[in-house]
Amino acid sequence: MKILILGAGAIGGYVGGRLHQTGADVTFLVRPARRQAIERDGLVIKSTKGDVTQKVKTVLTGSDGGPYDIVLLTPKAYDLDSAIEAIAPAVGPDTTVVPLLNGMRHLDVLDARFGKDRVVGGLARVGVAMSGDGTIHHTSPFAAISFGERGGKAPRAALKELDAAVKKSGVDGGLNGNIEQDLWDKWIMLCSLAATNCLMRGSSGDILEAEEGEAIVLETIDECRSVAAAAGHDPGETGMKTIRGFLTVKGSRFTASMLHDLEKGNMVEADHIVGDMIARAKKAGISTPNLRMAYVNLQVYLARRARKG
Amino acid sequence: MKILILGAGAVGGYWGARLHQAGIDVTFLLREKRAEAVRKNGLVVKSAKSGDAVLPVKVVTKATEGGPYDVIVLACKGYDLGSAMDSIAPAVGANTTIVPMLNGHIHFATLDAKFGAEKIAGGLARISGMLGPNGEILHSGASGVSFGERDGKPARQSLVDLDAACKKAGIDGGLNANINQDLWDKWLMLGSIAGMCSAMRGTIGDIMASDDGEAIMSEILDECRKVATAEGYPPSDKAFAGVKGALTQKGAKTVASILGDIEKGGAVEGRQIVGDMLARARKHGIAAPNLRFAYAHLQTYEARRERGGLK
Repeated sequence: MKILILGAGAIGGYVGGRLHQTGADVTFLVRPARRQAIERDGLVIKSTKGDVTQKVKTVLTGSDGGPYDIVLLTPKAYDLDSAIEAIAPAVGPDTTVVPLLNGMRHLDVLDARFGKDRVVGGLARVGVAMSGDGTIHHTSPFAAISFGERGGKAPRAALKELDAAVKKSGVDGGLNGNIEQDLWDKWIMLCSLAATNCLMRGSSGDILEAEEGEAIVLETIDECRSVAAAAGHDPGETGMKTIRGFLTVKGSRFTASMLHDLEKGNMVEADHIVGDMIARAKKAGISTPNLRMAYVNLQVYLARRARKG
Repeated sequence: MKILILGAGAVGGYWGARLHQAGIDVTFLLREKRAEAVRKNGLVVKSAKSGDAVLPVKVVTKATEGGPYDVIVLACKGYDLGSAMDSIAPAVGANTTIVPMLNGHIHFATLDAKFGAEKIAGGLARISGMLGPNGEILHSGASGVSFGERDGKPARQSLVDLDAACKKAGIDGGLNANINQDLWDKWLMLGSIAGMCSAMRGTIGDIMASDDGEAIMSEILDECRKVATAEGYPPSDKAFAGVKGALTQKGAKTVASILGDIEKGGAVEGRQIVGDMLARARKHGIAAPNLRFAYAHLQTYEARRERGGLK
């Protein structure tokens, strides 16, 4: 099985690096500067699970080195279009595209471009970042990816093989029989976290210091839950308990990466994480006053960012 | 008539400077450091409207000096009210009138309890300006004040005198027979703009450019209007339309000064401007979801400011 990974950034670099390290046939599709750095320094991973520097295969265009059985992509949602253009030459009739993105809207875009049969669901849970010199720093105690067929179909051979490779690599997770529920569960958590942290400009713990902070957080989670339920993916009480637990720890410094990005003046996945949740709520006739407020805040941020001030 | 002004910030400093220029007997009560600078360099005012000036104003550092005063102007921030009251207390005699120029309403209960309601007039400022790096008063735009009796009775002599002094000094406004309405009209505007500019962290124009920004601004204005109405001071349709027009103007660079304070990491009047409006909404059973978001935002800001960051 041949795997192509778009980019060798934080998540793609970490997961691809671990797969390569344990014998999988992995190629990274990268830009010339990144290729040069990797050829010079190797792919460098510093990790809570052990450091490794290794030579890896790179290509500059998707048409090189294929055909690929699996194309794994982990772009930010606002870079999805250019990611699609980059991988398109690598996607053949038997290729499976595995996107590891937050939210859901990218799946429609990928389906439209490559056909629904080629696209599966997937997500990553890895605390990882890339520093300026290209080193991949994995800092969380966990590193997991999850992927699977949508619509509850039996997994195709390529996904079973990818599952075997992942299990061998020491990355947790793997094939998931209910990936859509997993995607929704993560989206509910992430959307609630990002919406409240950005709207209030504070960590979850800071928000709980406001008189109505906890109530607002819980309402926001409920708004997202209603949208998930309308899509047929209610997380259930157990799932909800986990999400609520994450977001309502007094004194917690738990902060959405979207807020960190926002305070650095970076681009944020506002439309993908919050805007699309609202769009789905509207379609289902669900009222989401808290998300609406948060989305205005995020749109104001983007407007100010665009005019730089 | 002798006037004592606490502090020499953008509002009190500008107003006092204009009164001084018109020959009114004005004294500034200042902290040691500020007093020293003003004694040495004069009170420096830069204003497009009234011109630049360096004024040798009277300065005291203790309220027991230079009195007794007929009028004490209190133009401090709401969160400094406690120390401001302590500073002026020695200057408050049997015939002194205190004219507070604070935003909102919550300060009246505090002042009334400390000095007696009969000594406290209503007042507000429409003076835009800020302090420069060397304590100079940088005035821009409006220069109006409004003050009057809160119980609607004919104005006491000292307020009539203050009104005459303002007119002589070319300050807009002055004595207002319906100061309570003016206070509520200003608070309604301020509660809405301060609430939204902080919660959204942008200008009116930025907010209007978002999908639901105009709807949310209109809603918060309605929430404040309902509170003002329940308190007995509904804005006139004309006044409300004026405020709404200004606060929903596409492309407007208008921004609440509280956002500047937030972005500098400074103290803010969240409780006075937004929190107390929300509290009054609750008291009257008025649903105020947007004020609630705004106040949670401001309280989150305070919590984060207190612990000094995100980390």
